[in-house]
Amino acid sequence: MTAIGKSVPRVDAHGKVTGETLYPGDINLPNQAYLKILFAGRPHAIIKRIDTENAAASRGVLAVLTAKDVAINGYGLIYPDQPVLCGPGSSRRFADRVRFIGDQVAVVIAESEELATRATKLIKVDYEDLPLLTDPIEAMKNDSLLIHPDREDNILRHNKIRKGDVEAGFSQADVIIEAEYKTPVQEHAYLQPEAGLGYIDEEGRITVQVAGQWTHEDQEAIALALNLPIHRVRIIYPAIGGAFGGREDMSVQIILALAAIKLHERGIDRPVKIIWSREESIVGHHKRHAFIFRSKWGATNDGKITAAEVEVIQDGGAYACTSTKVLGNATLMCVGPYEIANVSVDAYSVYTNNLPGGAFRGFGGPQAAFAAECQINKLAHALGIDPVEMRMRNLLRDGSLTAVGTPLPEVVTIDRVVAASAEMAGWEKGPEGWSSPPAESLGSPAEKYLKRGIGIACGFKNIGFSFGHPEKCTTSIELLGGSEIERVIVYQAGADVGQGAHTVIAQMTADAVGVPLEMVEMVLSDTAKTEDSGSASASRLTYMTGNSIRGAAAEALMHWRAEDRPAKATFTYTPSATTDFDSSTGYSTPNFAYGYVSEVATVEVDMETGHVRLLKVICADDVGKAINMQQIVGQIEGGIVQAAGYALMENFIQENGQVATQHLSTYLIPTVLDIPEEVESVVLEFAEPNGPWGVRGMAEMPYIPLAPVVVAALHDATGIWFDEFPLIPERVLLKLQEEKGT
Amino acid sequence: MKKTLHPIKITVNGIESTHAVEPRLLLSDFLRQDMELTGTHVGCEHGVCGACTVLLDGEAVRSCLTFAVQIDGHQITTVEGLGSNPDELHPLQQAFWDAHGLQCGFCTAGILMTIIPFLEANPHPSEEKIREALSGNLCRCTGYQNIVDAVKLAAERGVGQPNPDD
Ligand code: FES
Ligand code: FES
Repeated sequence: MTAIGKSVPRVDAHGKVTGETLYPGDINLPNQAYLKILFAGRPHAIIKRIDTENAAASRGVLAVLTAKDVAINGYGLIYPDQPVLCGPGSSRRFADRVRFIGDQVAVVIAESEELATRATKLIKVDYEDLPLLTDPIEAMKNDSLLIHPDREDNILRHNKIRKGDVEAGFSQADVIIEAEYKTPVQEHAYLQPEAGLGYIDEEGRITVQVAGQWTHEDQEAIALALNLPIHRVRIIYPAIGGAFGGREDMSVQIILALAAIKLHERGIDRPVKIIWSREESIVGHHKRHAFIFRSKWGATNDGKITAAEVEVIQDGGAYACTSTKVLGNATLMCVGPYEIANVSVDAYSVYTNNLPGGAFRGFGGPQAAFAAECQINKLAHALGIDPVEMRMRNLLRDGSLTAVGTPLPEVVTIDRVVAASAEMAGWEKGPEGWSSPPAESLGSPAEKYLKRGIGIACGFKNIGFSFGHPEKCTTSIELLGGSEIERVIVYQAGADVGQGAHTVIAQMTADAVGVPLEMVEMVLSDTAKTEDSGSASASRLTYMTGNSIRGAAAEALMHWRAEDRPAKATFTYTPSATTDFDSSTGYSTPNFAYGYVSEVATVEVDMETGHVRLLKVICADDVGKAINMQQIVGQIEGGIVQAAGYALMENFIQENGQVATQHLSTYLIPTVLDIPEEVESVVLEFAEPNGPWGVRGMAEMPYIPLAPVVVAALHDATGIWFDEFPLIPERVLLKLQEEKGT
Repeated sequence: MKKTLHPIKITVNGIESTHAVEPRLLLSDFLRQDMELTGTHVGCEHGVCGACTVLLDGEAVRSCLTFAVQIDGHQITTVEGLGSNPDELHPLQQAFWDAHGLQCGFCTAGILMTIIPFLEANPHPSEEKIREALSGNLCRCTGYQNIVDAVKLAAERGVGQPNPDD
């Protein structure tokens, strides 16, 4: 009867195929008014004056709000350095500045969207432009032009790792590879642009219906910025049209709450609604960080990596968002899942006037894996060692010390994951070690100007919050009935951003209570009804909700046996503690669990146009336990295509703080014609000892090694290493021609 | 600024009605706001994503690129109009559910409306043809494979062949 391990069809699919499901923009409340935000449109300036008189007097306008109207006027997931509204008269110092084009300056509330839009154009803002800092390397050095004048420099964070003696390590090395890698900005491009409603509910709570990733974090951010007691704020998530990390920071949440309160204070109790256009979405929310890695690794002739020295520079953009946490991952992962005796890393997060960087599937992992996997592939090539064999000689195993001086939690399975992907692709293990499949096995291209190649890359990534960040998840379960359990109600805040969390919550609840799936009812994603479950991020939701569901089910069943009717229990799961980097050595226990992934890709490159086609991707992913195989495979296929966009086509252009790609017609994401011809998912189930049913968490893993595996395959095809992407045809062709010329 | 309103007479999901609309009102806004049919989604406002696709006299069109006045005298079918009765899914909808052809689901309505006329014209499509038919619809979640499989499944079940469901 167990519901675990079955490909249970999504519980929310009926409404999604009939159109009944309501996303935030689909909800209409009686008598609602509309919001329009005036964005700065310029990347660095001091606002001298805002004149809202004409806007406020314009037809149909209920109110115009500026910085003066925001109680605390600061927010941010790690530091509250971002003003809700920028402008003079704010309670916070330096909130009169705009630091990127998406800074919000004023909000108009009007009878219709059209009238609100018209009124925003009547707002006069006097700006005094400031010089721009858009290059993180320059911003790092420049202490006289400060993006946040309350700081001493533009460096938001510096992480250090010092393990062993890198100089000694390099002197043992027979080969040293040095390179500078650059990874690009990426836009989430979830299909549903930001939208939501704000109103005062029947119990007087300031209520916001919005698509986010963490109800209770949205609640806290609103309460802090508007100086409200937390219980006066309520967050409800309707259906969410994709997220991928892009809804982790605030977008329209605080503005909606602010508008609802300000109207209320003026005696107007009307709901307010906002829908961002695609352009507003692209400019208005954070992006995947661009990174620079300057890597120097050495290895001996027998393929043992002896030292790694890496400088990491992250363009944090205008505000902190989650930059320091993303940097933490990149610091740890830039030397790969390898045991290296001597490591030195200096990693910097830097403020600039670019769009803020923040969470996006992989959270620093894909960027770091790009540098690390390119390094190990280059070392293997230089040494004449097969890339799988090279990995086997260096991969972390149970008990190996990571760069931060502590082992990964057992069971470490990356060697088995790499082996599974390699075997599937035709690698063989002989007495001499691993050897790659013969070139003929790739098949021959249809034309002479096409070349094929194959490559491998792997990766690891934390499950759950890292580096000492508090981590917990709460579930309540209620059992109703007489002599037999007749109804099971689970209360869970976890966001279903599309990944299928709610289906999995139902499956896990059914199994934990021991009832058929159909008996489970769910109360979901409403701070007034559900306790804090933490975010839908860090591949953590199945792991964390599963453990809290099991705890709550066990307690509820105990009450049931004691004849309580209804029998109800609330359980908070807390995993083992993690610690932050030691400031001088980086020593830490960064994470409580990991997922492991390895990919083999076959590409075909057109030597005349530079066009790269992904023929096949094999993805081996240790998920611990597949609660729902259909959804796991869906995550693998979706993650690979999103990463293929990152690696091959998504070209986000920022110049002088302005965005040149503000529409989906200029920022191109993969269509069905751009996907690999074949994706083979190899789902491995090596149980995570503390995971519920052995679950590890997996939604980010398939994304992580894709860019470096494409580069490895491209090198196999052309003999050329690409240290920068996206590998759009222009970039590939230029490099092919350069190399031909030399 | 006074606006002239244009009378239109239309049939939406089989029901006839008359309206007075502004000349610049988009069909997507008209359907979502005036008709309260919010199953039609807007993802890009520029004709790129296909989320807003509806049927105009049986042909797939992007409602964000169509003005409401243009549909005067015509038939519109939205996702809400699929399926012969409210309790029964259209077999194409059922195939998307069964084959896990959606995750967040924001793209789904537009994809269903694109595929309906495609399968009518090509009841036994090759995978290549299916990919071609889907090439104007963006999905950021699924990686498309399950969407292609859902269309295949629907074709196997006879969607697109004369009267599979009624
Ligand atoms: S909203 Fe019409 S095509 Fe995107
Ligand atoms: S399922 Fe999310 S966009 Fe297609």
